[in-house]
Amino acid sequence: MKATDDTGVQSAPGDEQRLLDHTYDGIRELDYPLPRWWLMIFYASIVFSIGYCVYYFAGIGPDGATELAAKMKIIEAKRPPEPAATADGDDQVLVAAIRDSGRAAAGKSVYQSKCAACHGQSGEGGIGPNLTDDHWLHGQGRPQDVLEVVRKGVPAKGMPAWAELLKPNEQIEVTAYIRSIHGTRPPGAKAAQGELREFQEL
Amino acid sequence: MKNETFSYDDAIVKKFALATLVWGGVAFLVGLIAALQLADWRLNFGVSWFTFGRLRPLHTNAAVFAFAGNAIFAGIYYSTQRLLKARMFSDALSKFHFWGWQAIIAAAAITLPMGFSQSKEYAELEWPIDLAITVVWVVFGVNFFMTLLRRRERHMYVALWFYIATILTVGVLHVINSIEIPVGWFQSYPVYAGVQDALVQWWYGHNAVAFFLTTPFLGLMYYFIPKASGRPIYSYRLSIVHFWSLVFIYIWAGPHHLLYTALPDWAQTLGVVFSVMLLAPSWGGMINGLLTLRGAWDRVRTEPILKFFAAAVTFYGMATFEGPLLSIKSVSAIGHYTDWIIAHVHGGALGWNGFLTFGMLYYLVPKLWKTELYSKSLANTHFWIGTVGILLYIISMWASGVTQGLMLQAIDEHGRLVYPDFVETVLRIVPLFWIRAVGGSLFLTGFLVMCYNLWKTVESAPADSKEDVYSAPALAPVPETALGGTWHRRLEALAPTFSVLTLIAILVGSVLEILPTLLMHTYVDSNDKTVPYTALELAGRDIYVKEGCYVCHSQMIRQLPGDVLRYGAASTPEESMYDRPFQWGSKRTGPDLARVGGKYPNMWHFRHMIDPRLVTPNSIMPSYPWLTEKKIDFDGLQRKLDVMRSLGVPYGDADVLYAASNARAAAAQIAADLGTETGVKDLETREIIALIAYLQRLGVSPKAAPATQVGSN
Ligand code: HEC
Ligand code: HEC
Repeated sequence: MKATDDTGVQSAPGDEQRLLDHTYDGIRELDYPLPRWWLMIFYASIVFSIGYCVYYFAGIGPDGATELAAKMKIIEAKRPPEPAATADGDDQVLVAAIRDSGRAAAGKSVYQSKCAACHGQSGEGGIGPNLTDDHWLHGQGRPQDVLEVVRKGVPAKGMPAWAELLKPNEQIEVTAYIRSIHGTRPPGAKAAQGELREFQEL
Repeated sequence: MKNETFSYDDAIVKKFALATLVWGGVAFLVGLIAALQLADWRLNFGVSWFTFGRLRPLHTNAAVFAFAGNAIFAGIYYSTQRLLKARMFSDALSKFHFWGWQAIIAAAAITLPMGFSQSKEYAELEWPIDLAITVVWVVFGVNFFMTLLRRRERHMYVALWFYIATILTVGVLHVINSIEIPVGWFQSYPVYAGVQDALVQWWYGHNAVAFFLTTPFLGLMYYFIPKASGRPIYSYRLSIVHFWSLVFIYIWAGPHHLLYTALPDWAQTLGVVFSVMLLAPSWGGMINGLLTLRGAWDRVRTEPILKFFAAAVTFYGMATFEGPLLSIKSVSAIGHYTDWIIAHVHGGALGWNGFLTFGMLYYLVPKLWKTELYSKSLANTHFWIGTVGILLYIISMWASGVTQGLMLQAIDEHGRLVYPDFVETVLRIVPLFWIRAVGGSLFLTGFLVMCYNLWKTVESAPADSKEDVYSAPALAPVPETALGGTWHRRLEALAPTFSVLTLIAILVGSVLEILPTLLMHTYVDSNDKTVPYTALELAGRDIYVKEGCYVCHSQMIRQLPGDVLRYGAASTPEESMYDRPFQWGSKRTGPDLARVGGKYPNMWHFRHMIDPRLVTPNSIMPSYPWLTEKKIDFDGLQRKLDVMRSLGVPYGDADVLYAASNARAAAAQIAADLGTETGVKDLETREIIALIAYLQRLGVSPKAAPATQVGSN
């Protein structure tokens, strides 16, 4: 037969006075006071909590919706005024970009990562229309028309608005790229959609 | 008093210990697979039951209920008998508990990959299994409390207080969160909807961590650390203060999972303050654990068991510092929905629960089999491999969470998102997914080393397995007034009173938070005309739940500028008022979907679901090719709408009666639309159609509702 309490309890200096007399399966307990720093953390968290509750429950602090509205207001204020999609300045910038093959090339990488999923690797069309032909659903097919669709999108038909998603220069570049693939007749081209528009030289 | 002789049921402890090892292996392995699937989507293999959305719940359930659960039971059965000087009340009940629990886990391991899931985290299991859990838990409780009543030790040691809190609270949590109406053998809808479902779920989810992964392990800590070190517990007074403050405060903190969401502000405020107040009670446990090792630090250096314990308690301290930190609203804004939370939970699960369990097993197995540990140096090796594994895991996930959290909220000087493209933020953290996987592999390797070590230990055990016989006097009944000592000391001798007080402590916070939320209709404008899902959309929603899309996608645009700029206006309570179960999500591995409806054409979704990389290069989302093959369960829809109606969703008689034909008609339309674009025919009965219908509905209200005013507060 074995005794139930068999652990040899090891003591550290200072323990003797603190040792309580009970034993559970050989486990003894000391009774050191609560560490002061620990108590301080506890009290501080309680004081913080009371203050926090009063601040919000008494209506001193803003509620979630008000706080968000305030933050959004600051953000709106930072917005540069919305450029009219075909502002005069744009036309010249666009023409310059179209003439600069480097910028059209930069537009190609934007196109491949953002547009190819819907308009095909070479603009032949897919979910979205063929961008290389002379048929256009929106506008006359002029660069400024393309730029406008790119910026505003056609949300109801699944063409995203890119004004927020692409930087302004990327919008110009991808437009220049689309212009550069005009008439390339890529294989697998999607049937024409929209009106036939005459191609206009710049 | 006359001495009585008795023996302890250690056979049951051996069984639970063995089950801990088996299921631990499963949990860690599935976790590693899931980690690799995020690093490389091809590892989903295009097989429905193997995809991330189905495996992740399996991993979490296996880790919590199978690995940690069996470990808790092993430790509780071993220590309770010894602390009470009494054999378990009934060997039969113990066996029922063991086999019942293993059956539940096996059922989970089969049903979760099949997609039978309620989508409520750590409560995914469907209603038949929920019932089984309730029965087994009650059996465990009866067995435990009857043993308590038959004890031969007058006072209850602190470990037992924690066990009592565990058993009572887990019972309450499970039952209340699992109130659901079946719509089939393996499907049900919760009685709570939207905000209410979210609050009840995270009251449960947070306290599953508190009362399944914290209190029982603190109990184990209070038993095994002094046993293994031979040192007395540092402070009895601290035990009392931190026990009561912990159980009282923990239960309130659930809303910290829902900061900035459509949950009413008052509940969020309570979630913040009670989480902040949790720091000290949690650290009380850490202090008592670590300072108990005072005077034994030289042995910690050589003794692997003590190393595991010391590290476990340290990880506990880390995780319980991080928890309150993450509950501060501005920190939550960055951390929530990111891998920071994953890091946090694994500091707790791998470090605290894992290491405490490993230390306990290294202590228990030689004791149970009456032999010596096969190799101390292998155990030390395990410790170091495991520690490096955990550190790689949590450091990489911290980096990932903070990086992505900051990128997603970043707004430039013109008030625009700096990283409008979600995938860009994902690509930035994929390398960290690989580091995490390395950390996980190390942890798993260490675990296997332990299995080998323990196996060799058991092999060397003597054949004799007779139970030792002990003797102790029975407890003489003593009138309450004759009990000496402080009030708490007297309380420790009154098991029923102690248990009732514990129950009251956890019920206060529960009732005060849940009841007002259940009366939530006062927050939802009564003029609101939120339109319930059509039959086809509901079918699609069930597929969304089944495939586990919610493990990667939230449907909750928080009241944060970054969220609003990226996804649209902040979500309101009305929008999810018919959502059973709610789909707010807890992790954004992909973008929020609350307003994805109408953002893309049907074709886009069609291609995206078959292979996301067709439309989003470099996406890490799995492919779901089987959705074009599996058929929609049209015939079950009538019953589903009927159940929804009984829960208060305003469907008319015709909606319910013609659910199937309405759904077929709607499906035919979408299929025709896809057919003209793709040339793919005969899609109208396929699951993908229902899923698209659901996705196109998100954030779109068919009959435009007037702008609503959310109730004050
Ligand atoms: C999610 C799929 C999708 C993506 C991505 C997409 N588009 Fe589109 N796009 C469409 C659809 C669909 C239409 C047709 C809209 C309509 O029917 O009115 C369209 C139309 C257009 C048009 C007008 C064509 C016409 O015939 O008038 C242009 C120009 C265009 N897209 C450019 C782009 C550019 C540039 C990008 C990348 C920055 C892009 N799109 C990305 C789907 C997409
Ligand atoms: C492993 C995590 C993961 C799972 C599981 C997952 N997704 Fe995704 N999802 C992503 C990621 C990452 C993206 C962003 C890249 C992309 O567009 O594919 C995404 C994007 C999306 C989008 C486009 C959102 C937008 O606004 O552009 C939709 C819709 C979507 N997922 C639906 C689903 C559905 C439905 C399921 C379940 C059948 C699902 N996802 C499962 C990770 C996941």
